[in-house]
Amino acid sequence: MNPNFATVGQAFVKTYYETFDSNRAALASLYVAESMLTFEGAQFQGSDAIIKKLTSLPFQAIAHVLSTIDCQPTVSLGIIVFVVGQLKTDNDAPHTFNQCFHLKPKPDGSTYYVFNDMFRLSLHNG
Amino acid sequence: MAESAEYDYLLKFLALGDSGVGKTSLLFQYTDGTFNPKFISTVGIDFREKRVIHHPLNPDGSRSTRGQRVHLQLWDTAGQERFRSLTTAFFRDAMGFLLVFDLTHEQSFLNIRNWLSQLQTHAYCENPDIVLIGNKADLEDQKQVDENEARTLAENLGLKYFETSAFNGQNVSKSVEALLDQVMSRMENCVDKATLPNNVFNNNPNRGTKLREVDEANDESQGGCSC
Repeated sequence: MNPNFATVGQAFVKTYYETFDSNRAALASLYVAESMLTFEGAQFQGSDAIIKKLTSLPFQAIAHVLSTIDCQPTVSLGIIVFVVGQLKTDNDAPHTFNQCFHLKPKPDGSTYYVFNDMFRLSLHNG
Repeated sequence: MAESAEYDYLLKFLALGDSGVGKTSLLFQYTDGTFNPKFISTVGIDFREKRVIHHPLNPDGSRSTRGQRVHLQLWDTAGQERFRSLTTAFFRDAMGFLLVFDLTHEQSFLNIRNWLSQLQTHAYCENPDIVLIGNKADLEDQKQVDENEARTLAENLGLKYFETSAFNGQNVSKSVEALLDQVMSRMENCVDKATLPNNVFNNNPNRGTKLREVDEANDESQGGCSC
């Protein structure tokens, strides 16, 4: 088990959303070829496909505000991170969202990458 | 409000169109004054309400003096369509549609057909009542959509067309009222009420099976007259 799961998880989400809000294309460094993204039910695999999806979302500006970040250690020094927050795109009203990451350490142990990523807005009738 | 439960019809209209075409501003302009903004963040939908007294069109084109009290709910997306397509749930019970594009942004006009096909997929029937709206008419010098082109599209689709300005109010009430006329006349002529969306008829137990009628004098006190 990864003893630093909470520290790493917290640091990861901070970097992730700061990058998302300033330059979505730069998120490429956090994904690898085997990474998977389920975005509002649509599936993408590989850094290229994932970044293509994220950069093609039709808004100019986005800001995330995080409400809760829950982390757990998992097998092979992996970490699961579950985020609940709000986001605001351009002039739209804010939305609540949920996002879950499974982080894995790179083989050399230098850093972590996103293995699984699942994203949903919290919509019930929309 | 004392009369809050008193109405004959509850109608839900949806504003649809690309992000940034001014749907929210348009609805704000229409409801401003008797305005009741509500944002339900958990459902991702923004809706406004307005009471109007509807005077049905007579066959000769004049307005009936008989008034029907309509509680209008005007729904707007909250930008969730930027993340994924709208679902059938969003369209539930919607009776009329304001299909909006931006006169200063050609792509929003080209996307009208996509919106229309989404609408036809999810609406309560295949040919619901729709008005086509070209918004931002006040920005004359930035126009990218030719009026004749828009009118031709509207004619081909069998829709009424209005050029509106949510900024100065031009044609805003007129376009919503045109939609209301279409919806109300559909309901008057509708033989089988089961084909209409749910909740259209007020289930107020005080209301008889016959529509309550209000006289002109009472219209004034409601403050929501559509004239």
